[in-house]
Amino acid sequence: MASLTPAPPLGGYDMTFGELRLRECSELALVSLALPLGDEAAAKKAIKSSLKLDLPAPGMSAVNDTHRLIRMGPDQAMLIFADDAALAEPAVQTALKGACYTTNQTDAWVALSLAGPGVRDVLERLCPLDLHDATFPVDAAARTVMEHMGAMIVREEQDGFVLLSASSSAGSFLHAVETSIGYVT
Amino acid sequence: MSQSNRLTGGLIDRSVSVNFSFNGKNMQGFQGDTLASALLANGQRLVGRSFKYHRPRGIFSAGSEEPNALVQLRKGAAQEPNTRATMAELFDGLEATSQNHRGSLERDFMALTDLFAPFLSAGFYYKTFMWPKAFWERVYEPIIRSSAGLGRLSMQPDPDVYDHGYMHCDLLIIGAGPAGLAAALAAGRSGAQVVVADEDFLPGGRLNAETYAVEDMAGADWAAQAWAELQAMDNVRCMTRTTVYGAYDHGIYGALERRTDHLAASEGRPRQVLWRVYSRRAVLSAGATERSIAFPMNDRPGVMLAGAVRTYVNRYGVAPGKRVAVFTNNDDGLRTAADLKAQGVEVTGIIDARKGESLATTWGRKGLTAVGTASGRSIEADCLAVSGGWSPNVHLTCHQRGRPDWREDIAAFVPGADLPPGMSVAGAANGAMTLAAALKEGHAAACAALGDLGLSPAAGDAPKAEDETFDIKAFWHAPGKGRAWVDLQNDVTAKDVKLARTEGYRSVELLKRYTTLGMATDQGKTSNMLGLAVLAEASGKSIPDTGTTIFRPPYSPVAMGAFAGRARGKDFRPNRLTPSHKWAEEQSATFVTTGNWLRAQWFAQAGEKGWRDSVDREVVQTRRSVGICDVTTLGKIDIQGRDAAEFLNRIYSNAFLKLPVGKVRYGLMLREDGICYDDGTTARFSENHFVMTTTTANAVLVFRRMEFARQCLWPDLDVHLISTTDAWAQFAVAGPNARALLGKVVDDLDLSNEGFPFMACAECTVCGGTPGRLFRISFSGELAFEVAVPARYGDAMIRALMQAGEEFGAIPYGTEALGVMRIEKGHAAGNELNGQTTAANLGLGMMVSKKKDSIGSKLSEREEMNRDDGLRLVGLHPVDRNDMLNAGAHFVELDDHHPDMFSDQGYMTSVAWSPELSHSIGLGFVKRGKDRIGDIVRAYDPVRGKDTKVEIVSAHHIDPEGVRQRG
Amino acid sequence: MIINHPLLGPRDAAEFVYLGDASLMDRPDGMTASDEEMHDYMYLRDNPAGEHRELWYHEQGDRSWLVVTRNTLTHEITMVELARDVARSRGRSK
Repeated sequence: MASLTPAPPLGGYDMTFGELRLRECSELALVSLALPLGDEAAAKKAIKSSLKLDLPAPGMSAVNDTHRLIRMGPDQAMLIFADDAALAEPAVQTALKGACYTTNQTDAWVALSLAGPGVRDVLERLCPLDLHDATFPVDAAARTVMEHMGAMIVREEQDGFVLLSASSSAGSFLHAVETSIGYVT
Repeated sequence: MSQSNRLTGGLIDRSVSVNFSFNGKNMQGFQGDTLASALLANGQRLVGRSFKYHRPRGIFSAGSEEPNALVQLRKGAAQEPNTRATMAELFDGLEATSQNHRGSLERDFMALTDLFAPFLSAGFYYKTFMWPKAFWERVYEPIIRSSAGLGRLSMQPDPDVYDHGYMHCDLLIIGAGPAGLAAALAAGRSGAQVVVADEDFLPGGRLNAETYAVEDMAGADWAAQAWAELQAMDNVRCMTRTTVYGAYDHGIYGALERRTDHLAASEGRPRQVLWRVYSRRAVLSAGATERSIAFPMNDRPGVMLAGAVRTYVNRYGVAPGKRVAVFTNNDDGLRTAADLKAQGVEVTGIIDARKGESLATTWGRKGLTAVGTASGRSIEADCLAVSGGWSPNVHLTCHQRGRPDWREDIAAFVPGADLPPGMSVAGAANGAMTLAAALKEGHAAACAALGDLGLSPAAGDAPKAEDETFDIKAFWHAPGKGRAWVDLQNDVTAKDVKLARTEGYRSVELLKRYTTLGMATDQGKTSNMLGLAVLAEASGKSIPDTGTTIFRPPYSPVAMGAFAGRARGKDFRPNRLTPSHKWAEEQSATFVTTGNWLRAQWFAQAGEKGWRDSVDREVVQTRRSVGICDVTTLGKIDIQGRDAAEFLNRIYSNAFLKLPVGKVRYGLMLREDGICYDDGTTARFSENHFVMTTTTANAVLVFRRMEFARQCLWPDLDVHLISTTDAWAQFAVAGPNARALLGKVVDDLDLSNEGFPFMACAECTVCGGTPGRLFRISFSGELAFEVAVPARYGDAMIRALMQAGEEFGAIPYGTEALGVMRIEKGHAAGNELNGQTTAANLGLGMMVSKKKDSIGSKLSEREEMNRDDGLRLVGLHPVDRNDMLNAGAHFVELDDHHPDMFSDQGYMTSVAWSPELSHSIGLGFVKRGKDRIGDIVRAYDPVRGKDTKVEIVSAHHIDPEGVRQRG
Repeated sequence: MIINHPLLGPRDAAEFVYLGDASLMDRPDGMTASDEEMHDYMYLRDNPAGEHRELWYHEQGDRSWLVVTRNTLTHEITMVELARDVARSRGRSK
């Protein structure tokens, strides 16, 4: 039997609104890393040697050419990178040699990139967080709630954010972002 | 009617004329007018009828405190009642109508009510409609209902959209009058993040209404220049048409921005945006509101606050009358006369209460013609400017139960010491009644707030202005014959206040509720103080000894739509879709909402007459061959760690420590009080890796609870949780042909009963390499598997399964068939785990291990929960196989002629039509149920008028030994 | 309300879920506790007018349980701690 064809939650959505671009990042793989209790130092070392990334403080992310590592909480981080989703987690597990507990999260989330001038005007209708440069600089990351949906927000660049939310409600989440764009532009 | 009362000057744009209509009459105004100023320019003094007595009323103020000039604005679905004409900006094509009259505004039949005024005093509801008793529902209430209420709803859905937003700032400045502008300039120049909001469309506050100078220029010009400077700053957000309506905990303020109310149409853009403002500090510079004086017949159209008269003259270039008299207890009256004279308007008299002068009456049925002084003089006037002094706008200082303090020198309440944390007050809102003082206070408040935040204020002093005089002598109530209105909007008179006091309503809080004083949509902005003063006078007490009412949010009315924001209709809540949703739509599935999920309920086929046909077919075909159901919605929790097994052992009531790798176990969770909470299966994929499923409804709650246990109860267990509910698409494949079907789909896995027995699990690949997981678990009682693939393969997976199942006649089944099969099999679900039942009730008592501590195990041992005559889960069959059972029926004995709670034997929880047995079946709880198998009782259902004989049977209606699922 | 999360800084209370008195952390061991001890743990709470230590869960955030010290009269929050730290300090080891 032929292998299955993947379908991203929003079918690879990509639209521009004036100078704003809203795009589904269907190329991204997400793998959560949990730091074993008592062995956090070893986990950090393994992350450093295999991914070339320092585990950032909660609320921040660390980034290199291929990977972004978001600190989700005291003992949890999320690795985001472009990859074939189905294979992402075993590869990370192998690279870390079991120093962290890993879980494939690729399919749990939908990722939307929203970038362009005025992006913060759109986000202030959605996101309760203070996105001023001083409090949410480039590479800052946070989990929060937008229009009743759990969400993650990462500032990739000055005018570019990645928004993540549950894949099952991807349609509602996209609708919320599109509505905000429509209301402010 | 041309603009007969239009003067020269003002802050309106005379190059843009604006057409509008009032009660169908076409009129013209200018850009920059409000509806109120344009009506006055056109000589329209009568604008509405009062709430209770239907008295003719005119425009009373020039701001959000307006009690009288409430109109219906716009037409059709977009019409809005109770719009204050003083706040409505004029736009081309604006249509307004007056409200609260039957017949025309000029000839209101309901004005007869006024003749009955002596019978309609305070509390008349409670006194008048007592007798005869039977009349209340049939006569009084219908009459009151039809005459009550103010304005009319369109009775159509609101066509506009609304939005919410979030703002963060170092300093929020509430009000952009002189104090607010001085504060904003100081804060803005320092580089702090500032939000400055004003309810008006023109910032400047009283500077636009007075003839003062700031920094040697006209006050209005200075305000415009200051605003322009603020708008040019990146760190300052300048918001007009924005009312900060509430002060909430920890520096959060609610603000309503009216974005399209000043436009003819909103064209799909949000009409209003409700902002949640997170501020580190706030300066309240909301100014003050002028109040009236209670004197006989003080409610006629043409009687207006003196400050409003100056606003109309100076800001809008409109004379509120051609011959104006002034009644004042402070210097503002004299200022009004001077401003009127400067514009060439005749001032016919000044009655200064400080000199012992007073008014005894007024004349003019539908508009003022003259006033009569206490000394018997009659003064011709079509407008009377009244000033009883100013009340600082302390509202927001009270929103966290702060109480204002009385200041005798200005005869007003000022903010007390117990301000909301982070708030300071400046300018007239703080009792600084003169311009120079307001500017200084605003500047100083901003500098102090910046200092608190560790920011350094920019160099520079407060803007400079002359201090005008402000001399006031308290004067509240002029004695005399005739009604003296205190609250114009709710038609409360000084006499009502005194009567209420006589009847025992001595506390101002009670008085307010009894008389309805200050309880109209204006929240008593112009009347509360006056009412309090009249009460104090009647009690012979001072005002501070009489007390004051405090204010609650909102400062001014906020439309329900604004609070709702986007949460309307389809957007009320998000939808969660399963990975097979699109495919299910193609199969004409009917969907049911479970939480936020949409699940396929059944899949109708051509020729089926109703849902039962579809559901019966799905059950029969699944039991006969094979059926497929999307079970993605079950909660899935990935559990890893060295102590994961120990953790599960403490979470579940049954043992998990020794669950072998590659096996699944049913698990039961209790609440700490011993009641059943949730159930599901947990699979062990490796020594330290488990995957748990929860019920759909409890997925979030179980996760929360497990995090609680992990962090708060046993923080030193190495265990980690992450939800994978959305990560995997999961399908149940059930029926005798399930194995054969899956054999075509699953790669390289021995699915024989020996190779993959009941309750086995494995990681695998499907369809030639797609990663997947396979579980041999059964909810239907059939030979069954659940296969999971990453969610993005879910759509392809269901199509592949259906294709592979074609030769077996595989069908998809929905939640109804799922429910029928689990009832047939006797599996408990939400109806049985209903928050009242124990493991013993469910027949699962053996699952609560006594060899270990787990949540709920200790308290589940309590005596009352372990009675021998306790409820037990059983099956029920109707004795007459044609009878249909109903969930909710109670069981009573055959000879029980007076069923009640004491003779109650239990209740029915779930029922279904069983295609397998060809009759209705049920699950339920019966006392000593296990000992009563074979007994006949009655399913007694007085609510639905049913009384059915039923036989108590095993809960396992089919295959009680479980041969099928193990085969 | 705003809760000043010890790791993430100030966050709107809308991101949190409230549970109740922080004494819910002091769960006795079911194998050794007396009936009274378990009963008291389950059902008895103080309801102070004033300072209250209580459990909040950052559900729309980092999933940390927090112990928040809040004045029930004024809503003033004077201390926020990670519940796992508090639990350890109260001796809740394995």
